[in-house]
Order: sequence, then C-alpha cells, then structure tokens
Amino acid sequence: MIPELGYISLTIALGLSILLCIYPLWGAYTNNLRLMRAAPALAIGQCVFVFISYAALVYASLTDDFTLVYVASNSSSSLPWYYKITSTWGGHEGAMLLWVVMQAGWTALVSISSKSLPWPLRARVLGVLGFLGVGFMFYTLLMSSPFESLLPYYPVEGHDLNPLLQDPGMIIHPPLLYMGYVGLSVSFSFAIAALLTGKLDNTWAKWSRPWTISAWLFLTLGIALGSWWAYSELGWGGWWFWDPVENASLMPWLIATALLHSLAATEKRGVFKSWTVLLAIAGFSFSLLGTFIVRSGVLVSVHAFTTDPGRGMFILGFLAIVVGGSLALYAMRASAVSSPGRYRLFSREVALWLNNILLCVATLIVLLGTLLPLVHKELGMGSISIGEPFFNEMFSYLLVPFAFALGVAPLLRWKQNKFNALKNKLLLIGLLSIVITASWLYSSYDVVSSMTFIAVLLAVWVTISTIFDVVERATKQTSLIVGLKQFTNSYWAMVSGHFGFACVVMSVALTSAYSVERDVRMMPGETVTLNEYVYRFDGIKEIVGANYTGHAAMVSIHKEGEKVTKLYAEKRLYNVGMQFMTEAAIDASLGRDLYVALGEQLNNGAWALRIYHKPYIRWMWLGGLIMSFAGLLILLDKRYRGTSKVPQKHKDSNNASQPVASGEVS
Amino acid sequence: MKYFLFVLLMGFSALTFAVEEAQTFDNAQQAQLFKELSLELRCPKCQNQNIADSNAVVAKDLRDKVIELVKLNKSKDFIVEYMIDRYGYFVHYKPPVTASTLVLWVVPILFVLFGFGSVIFRQKKSAVEQEWSEKDEAQLTKLISKYQDSSSQMKQESGQ
Amino acid sequence: MSGENKNSKLMFAVPLIIFFLLCIFLFKGLFSNPRELQTGRLGQEMPAFNLPDLMQENKNWSEKDLLGKVYLINVWGTWCPTCLVELPYLTKLRERGVEIIGLYLEQGYDPDFDGEFNIQALRDEVSQMLARTGNPYQYNIFDLNRSLAFDLGVSGAPETFLVDSKGVILLHHTGDLNERTWRAKFAPKFTELKEVKL
Repeated sequence: MIPELGYISLTIALGLSILLCIYPLWGAYTNNLRLMRAAPALAIGQCVFVFISYAALVYASLTDDFTLVYVASNSSSSLPWYYKITSTWGGHEGAMLLWVVMQAGWTALVSISSKSLPWPLRARVLGVLGFLGVGFMFYTLLMSSPFESLLPYYPVEGHDLNPLLQDPGMIIHPPLLYMGYVGLSVSFSFAIAALLTGKLDNTWAKWSRPWTISAWLFLTLGIALGSWWAYSELGWGGWWFWDPVENASLMPWLIATALLHSLAATEKRGVFKSWTVLLAIAGFSFSLLGTFIVRSGVLVSVHAFTTDPGRGMFILGFLAIVVGGSLALYAMRASAVSSPGRYRLFSREVALWLNNILLCVATLIVLLGTLLPLVHKELGMGSISIGEPFFNEMFSYLLVPFAFALGVAPLLRWKQNKFNALKNKLLLIGLLSIVITASWLYSSYDVVSSMTFIAVLLAVWVTISTIFDVVERATKQTSLIVGLKQFTNSYWAMVSGHFGFACVVMSVALTSAYSVERDVRMMPGETVTLNEYVYRFDGIKEIVGANYTGHAAMVSIHKEGEKVTKLYAEKRLYNVGMQFMTEAAIDASLGRDLYVALGEQLNNGAWALRIYHKPYIRWMWLGGLIMSFAGLLILLDKRYRGTSKVPQKHKDSNNASQPVASGEVS
Repeated sequence: MKYFLFVLLMGFSALTFAVEEAQTFDNAQQAQLFKELSLELRCPKCQNQNIADSNAVVAKDLRDKVIELVKLNKSKDFIVEYMIDRYGYFVHYKPPVTASTLVLWVVPILFVLFGFGSVIFRQKKSAVEQEWSEKDEAQLTKLISKYQDSSSQMKQESGQ
Repeated sequence: MSGENKNSKLMFAVPLIIFFLLCIFLFKGLFSNPRELQTGRLGQEMPAFNLPDLMQENKNWSEKDLLGKVYLINVWGTWCPTCLVELPYLTKLRERGVEIIGLYLEQGYDPDFDGEFNIQALRDEVSQMLARTGNPYQYNIFDLNRSLAFDLGVSGAPETFLVDSKGVILLHHTGDLNERTWRAKFAPKFTELKEVKL
C-alpha cells in the first residue's frame, strides 16, 4: 500500500511540476501576474509530494518490503537500519529518486527565499527549475521507478547492499554530491531566466552568488569525502583514480569554482557578463553530462550504475533539450549583453580572467581525457585508454601558472596596478617561499625531485602571499588585531579558500613523492620496518559482525621502542552476497598515515599484508574542508543574513565612518 | 668469546628480519619499475582497473609477464610496447601520440592562447575606441576658448 | 561595424555547435560496446607457438600448421558458459564448410599451488560437452599456461580470430559468435577471400 502511495505521490508531483513549468513561464511571457504568482505555491506543492514519495521508499526499505524489486535488490533484513536508509540511494532507481528529492527541495528553497525578486524574474527562475524537475520525474516514473513490484511472487530475503557501500562514507557522499549537482541547476535557472528577461544586470549576479556558492560547497565536500572514502575503503592506499565517474564530479566542480570567481567580478565590477552566463549554463550542463555518463554504459567504470541504452537515450535526449536549448538561447541573446567595465592588463580583473581560463582548460582536459576514447573508437580508429599518467601530467603543467597567479592575485587591485609597487612585494614573498620550502624539504628528505620541490614551493608561495596580504591590509590604518577584526566574512573566505587549496597541493605533492609501500608475507610474531616504524604481526582473530564474518590481523606498531598503536586489519565475508571485503586499518595523524591491509592466507600459515606509510595525506581532505569552510563563511556574510533588516541598518550607518581595511575581494 | 657471542647474536637477530617479500627482485630499481608498470597498465577485462588492483586471470598473467621482463632488465618502453603489441593501445593508460590523439594536447593549448589573446585584444580595442580625432580636438579648442571668454567677461563684469 | 557584430554573434554560437557534435558521439556511443577489444596483432602474422593437441597424446601444433587455408581460431573452455551457448552455432558453421580450430584456454590451473595437471579429466569433460553440442573443431590446441593466448591478446572467452591462408590475422571478435555477428563481421571477409562457398 505504501509503495503505491509513493508512486502516486510522485505522479502528483510530476503534474504540479508540469504546471510549475508552464504557468509562470507563460505568465512572464504575457505579463500575466496571476499566472506568475502561481509559481511559489506550485513549487512548494511539488516538493511536498516528492518528499512523501521518498518517505514511502524509506518506509518500504526499513520494513523489509521485498515485494519491491528495488528493496529486494539493494537491501536485506540483516542490514543495520542506517544502511537500510542508505540503500535507498545505493541502486540506480533509488538514486534517481534522491536526485528528484534534491531537485524539488532546492526549487522549494529558491521559491521561499526569492520574495524580493521582481515577479518576471522570479517566475522564470521557478519555471525553469520546474522544467528540470519535470524531466527528472518523468524519467524516474517511466524508466527507473523504485516502486516496481515483484508481486505476486516475491523473495523472502533481499540481495543485500553491496558490502563496499556498507560504510559511513556511503551515508554522506552521494547526498552531498547530489546537493552540489542539483544546486548548480539553480545558478543555471537564474542564468536562463536572466537571458529570457533580457536583463543581465547586477540583480542577477547578486542573486546567483549565494546559490552558486552553496552548490560549490556541497560539491567540494562531496568530492573530498569521496576521495577519503576510497582511500579508507578500497585497501590499496589510492585516493583518486581519474575514473570517468570521478571525472564526472570533478568537471562541474572546476566550472563552479570558475563561476564563483567570475560572479564576484561581475557583481562588483560588471565585467565578464556573457562569460559568467555561459559558465552558469556550463556548470549544470556538466552535472547532466555526468549523470549521462554514469547511467548510460557509454564508458567503462567501477562506479557505473547500469548499462541500459534505453535509459541512456532518455537522458541524452533530456541533455540535448536542456543544454542545447540553453546554448541556443545564449547564442541568440548573449551578444546583446555588454560589459562596460574597463580595466588594464595588470589588474585583478585580468587575474580573475586567468583563473577562469585555467580552470576551464582543466575542465577541458578532463572532458577530452574522459570522452576521447569513446570518440576514437566511434571513428573506427581502435581502442585507447586515457588514465592517470595523462591527467597527472597535464594537471602538473597547469598547476604552475595557476598557483603562481593565485599568489599574485590577492595583492592586485581592481582596474589597474603599478607593477613597480608590486614587484618588491612579490620578490619578498618569492624569496621567503623558496627559503622555507628548501629548508623544509631538504632537512626532511634525502632526495627531492624538481617536480616535488616546485609543487611544494607553489603551495608555500600561495600561503605566504595570503598571509602577507592579510597582514598588509590589517595594518594599513590600525594595529594588527584591530585590523583583523574589521575584515569581512568574504575576505576571510578568500583567505580560507586559497589556503585550503595550498594544503591540497602540498599534500598531493608530498604523498605522491614519499609514500612507501611494502607487500609482505608474515607469520605471527614477525616484524617489518618501514621508515622508523616497526610493525609486528601479532596474529589473527576471528571476527563476527552484524551481517558478516571474517578475520582480523592484529598489528602493533612501535616507534623508537615506544608503542604507537594497535591496528586491526580486517577481511570480511558478507553472509548474504558471499562477497569478500578488506577493511584497511589506518592510524592517522597530521604528519603521516600508517596503513595496513590484510591479504590472502597462504599455505604455510603466513598471511599476506600490505603496509603503507603515507606522509601528510590528511592535509588533502583537511584542505578540502578548509575550502568548504570558505564557502560557509561567504554564506554567513552579513549581506545574506536577514535581507529585510540590512537596508535599514545601512541607512543608519551610512553617516558613521566605515572601516577602511575591509579588504573587499569577493 | 665476546666476538663469538656477538656474531651469534647478530645471526639470531637477522632471523627476525626474514619476512618474505611478496615479490623478489634483484634490486630496488626493478621493484620500482614493476610498481610503476603495474599502475600504468590496464586490465583488459575489468571495469577500469590497473593490473595491480585486479584479481582477474588476465591481469595476473600481465603482472607475471611484467615481472619476468623486469627481471630480464628490460626497459620500461620495451615492456610497454611488448604489451601493446598484444593487447593494443587499450592496455596502456597513457594514450599514444598519434594524429587522432593530438587533439588532447592541441585543444587545451589553443584554448589557453585564445583566452589570453582575447584579453589582450580587448585592451587594444578599448584603446582604439578612445582614439581622439582632429575634429574632436578642434571642437574642444572652441569650447575652451568660449569658456575662457565667458569667464573673463564675468570677471570684468564683477569688477576686478 | 555590422561585420564585427556578425563575428561576435557567430562566436556565441560556438558552444552550441560543439555541444551538438558531442551529442552525436554520445548517441553513437550508446550502441557500441566499450568493453570490446581488439588484439594488437591485427594485420600481422600469427605468433610462433608450439603447443600440444588437447585430445591426442604426443601431437603438437605450430603456426606453420595454419598456413594454406583460411581458419577460424576459437578461444574457449568448458568453464565458460557463453562458449556452451556458442558451440552449436560453430558446429553449424563447420557443416557449412568453415574450418575452425579450437584454442582451449585453461583458467584454473596455478603451477605454484596445484600439482600435476589432470589432462585425462579435462579430455573426458571436453568429450562429454562436445557430444552434447556437436564438435565444430578440426582439432583443439591446448594452451595450459595461456602463452599463445597472451601473445594473441586474448583476455577471456569466447573470442574468435579469422586467419587467412598466409597466417595473417584479419579479424578479432570478442564475445560469442552468432548469426548476427557472423553476417556483420565474418561473412564479408570470407566473400572477399573467396575461399569458401557459403
């Protein structure tokens, strides 16, 4: 009964979405206020029914309703309850419903917070969002419904959730990513609405920013989490594989990063308008492209959901309409947009333009690398593979100009700068960076390759430059402490974002260069030494879990005679699917990770163990968190809090003296 | 006696380091080469995994062959080409540089050049737009003289 | 001025054009199998080998035995379920005059762990299976250590190679051979070679 309710509820939501798509857009076109005013109610309505539909699926999963194909394939009665909820997005159909939930949710959120938008713009934004909702709901209902029934013959037990997915990472990773993908549809809708209205002014840029930043925030968290999860879960110490599905999440992220920088320039200086619109369209387009790649079977990937050409056709068709339509609209309307701002070659505007160019080139490289094998094969020229060596090489080339410019940019002012004034500052920062990098690396390691040195130098360069800028701005008119207190949230966001990036670069460089691995066969009692840590294999323990059995290797680690920790590296056999899974044991700290994975049992009673020493790897995900924090800081900025109150406050404080060292960047 | 005990002790302690390595190579370079190649060669039968990672039979065959060739002190290029001869370009994660794959490098470079170029082009265009013509100059002179006349007239009238 | 406007209008249409091209490839990609691979030896002569016959004692085969006629080399094993489905069709092809040589691929044997290979058990298994489906093979080459398979770029079973009378590999098909794939890939080549009347 409940699953049927879920299906009907989704159908009602589809109906409301269709109305949401038609009424406001037609109302905006014919200037019919009554039609336009229907939008918010319809938006909330479709959201409510989508939520009901999803609740029905969760209920079915929690009550082990195996009459549903989806629950029978992705869940089992011995699954812990939190993984039963997780299983609602573990399979293709459920994940699509989750996407619909996100889409409906964001639409409702936009509807609630857009009260001060002029009606034509507001109606159009909601209308476009409604159109996107229609597409996804239609697809879910028609081709990938999680409410398909197995009646009258249904199994007594489910197939269980893939053991690889029975992990806390699975609880947060997909929802975070989907929040990001769908969040980009809001920037997309704003861009389309602005093009339709014909007004690409400050209003549009101002409104787009917080939505873009929220989406970016979720994407950053989602990707960082995915990388951490792969590292902890897969047992071979890797954290990024350039798999097509990973690339599908990276491309929207790169575009979103470019977009949030471009929006800053557009909002503050009125430049790059048509380019920003194109980026807003591109962001969501890449989200859609990612969905297509993952679900169509066009590319081979470990993460791929399903390989059904029929489903792929629908998504491709939807992709063609949405992206093709928006690009056609762009082609027609964008030429009428002018960006009146003037700036010299050596200015912050140009630095931001450089940022955009490099980020877009990075996206292009990932796109080419991911799709060229397909094109190459289709053109009859055989199969090729493009993987880690290619991407790593290209990204390390890109890093140099990008990180260099990142260090210079915060010191640049808008419109124009005098090179001489800047030259001395840059030289000082550069010298400091070289000294710090050299003393750090050469005192810690015997061999330092030029690539490692350059990468770490760039990370240090960005950090020192950021600190320099902070100190300079803070002490311009007052003391340091007073000056720091006067910084706006958006300035701290820039500091945080750039510093987070530097952390990631440093971590990637050092962990790639100095990770050590040993593949050994050990008898209980034997020891292995890796980088001054002594690993002793204490023996094997039998383990029994909620829905698995297996073995755990007990490994105690000592350094210079002192005990560091005791690790349990597990190898589990899941009862239902009879699948093996390694649970690597990790001792984490800021300076290094100690990583042990259990392998096969050998004939003579020995066990195969893989032991890794990974320096500074935590900084990678810490850097991701710090970057996400930057996004949060901007969202908490005063101007986005209580928009109805702020204008009054400004009226009062206009006469009072404003703090000068506010360092307005973004 | 002391020396004898010492040697005995050393002998015993050496036993604790007798952990067997999963692979035995003649030197560190060989081990390193094997590690690199096992990450760069692709398993032909898997869902996008390198041969280090995969449990497939063909992946194990590839690994064994790589070990064999590495122990024969063959170069990295030789081993990669050996595999490509049999399994095609698919088996190497680095794409070959052919006319059809050149686009991988050419398009990004063109994009960057185009991007930089457009900014410089804009600078030149805005500079050109603000060009000052002779007619403008003449008009400006006329306006200045008119203002000077009127202001000197005002000065005279206010009695200075 | 109007020329400049036209140029800039064209510029704004570039993303649309690129996207359109992309869609074409994505559409075509939906109908191709990304897992299908080709041997690196396409267009080259068969690699040298010296392997025993599967069923006969003291009989070996080499690449020289493949010269003079057009053959299909079918990689298979009793462990492979798709091969079982393919065998009746291959038998039909034999009746139509196509000469097929089997390359038996052994997957389970590990010289480090198992003892001596039990060839007799395998022969019995193969005889039983071929009795049910019909025997499409002129003879079977036994590749215990997968050496020839490796040299041919074989990654599993079933796979089929088309080798001409000079020993040159003309085709490599991964997956099972059925009427559809025969007509699409192999039949045209056979007609070209005019070797067999079909």
